Amino acid sequence: MASQSPQNQASLYVPENVVHNTKTITFIRSSMSAINGSAAGILGLTGYSGFIFYALTALFTSFLIWSVKTNTHPGIYFRNGSDVWTEGVFGGLFSYVLFWTLLYGIVHGTYKTIMVHLHKWFMANF
Amino acid sequence: MSQPLTSMLVESQALYLDPAIRDWVLIPIMVVMVLVGIFRDQVTLLIGSTSGKKAGIKAIRETKALTRGVTLRNYGNNIPSSSFLIRKNYLCSSYKKGDFLKNPASANQVVNPMTDPAGMEMMMEGMKKNFAMIIPQTVIMGWINFFFSGFVLIKLPFPLTLRFKTMLQRGVETPDMDVTWVSSLSWYFLNLFGLRSIFTLLLGEDNAADGMRDMAAMSQMGAASPGQPQDFNKLFLAESENLELTPHNWELDDIEVRLLVKYGKRELVDNKDIIEMEDISPISSNDLSDVKGKSKKKRT
Repeated sequence: MASQSPQNQASLYVPENVVHNTKTITFIRSSMSAINGSAAGILGLTGYSGFIFYALTALFTSFLIWSVKTNTHPGIYFRNGSDVWTEGVFGGLFSYVLFWTLLYGIVHGTYKTIMVHLHKWFMANF
Repeated sequence: MSQPLTSMLVESQALYLDPAIRDWVLIPIMVVMVLVGIFRDQVTLLIGSTSGKKAGIKAIRETKALTRGVTLRNYGNNIPSSSFLIRKNYLCSSYKKGDFLKNPASANQVVNPMTDPAGMEMMMEGMKKNFAMIIPQTVIMGWINFFFSGFVLIKLPFPLTLRFKTMLQRGVETPDMDVTWVSSLSWYFLNLFGLRSIFTLLLGEDNAADGMRDMAAMSQMGAASPGQPQDFNKLFLAESENLELTPHNWELDDIEVRLLVKYGKRELVDNKDIIEMEDISPISSNDLSDVKGKSKKKRT
């Protein structure tokens, strides 16, 4: 049973468990940022819409962690309950950008053989 | 004649890359970086495991004794005051006498890391680890520079300002090219940052795969060498001082009140926090009788 004074409160958390919970969140965040990056690339988002998409999906992921993994009580699992919403959001941004770029490049016609190019030019001019 | 010329100009703005670049440069660089990361993690494990079992039983006892003091400080409130005092006295006296030291005779000597074999071992360990980090990185960069220097590999899906041009088009000296095109070396850096969380997925949290962590470690090297042996005698003395200063408030001192508050038999007292800060007997007899009276009242 938790007592009211803050220093007692702090010692009630087992550090190993808190570390494990943080790891779980990092794992979820990493996989979600890679998957969402791929999704953004395949959808063909460009510019700001891609970053807005990241913000929305990160928020959605946080909501899922908050509602499913912590049963809407993050304070039980973390010293600071708001960690659920912020942990690893910016760390995931890099891999999001990487996968977004990769999938966008592959899916949305950055690559074309020279023959296609020549054909287009030929059709336009003759 | 002017019509095709303008169309040519528009066409040249819309640049296309050969699919062979995608198949033989873009994807291989990524795959190689992932594989090298895994390889590096395994090598670090291999190097680390050889030194892991060398710690003697006395050395382990030394560190564990210190941990014990810290644990008592943190969780001492969960045991009764008498138990806490017994442990505190025992640990403090042992710390001061140096009972837990590896070799009590050399309590006051400063160990020179150059002559101490264990210290030497530790330093070699650090060197080996650093080499395992630097070599793959140099090899990959050399590989990309040698074969793919000046290649344009991919286009970023978002616009950037001109200041990023030097960052993203390393090795491509074309002033007119759009900033969003990424050169081979920059693709390497993009991977270096972006694959970090992928390594977390593949190898777990404490992997040694990503290249940025060892850069941070290298910059730290100058400040404090990791292989420095600690002076446990000093640590023990400091810990005993900390223990002496630790107050003890037993967690269950006011358990009756808290229980009654939890089940709604009693209002939360305002000065409860103040009571808890006191060392002894937080609930006065006055308070207790009040509680009893209330609970009786409710029952009748």
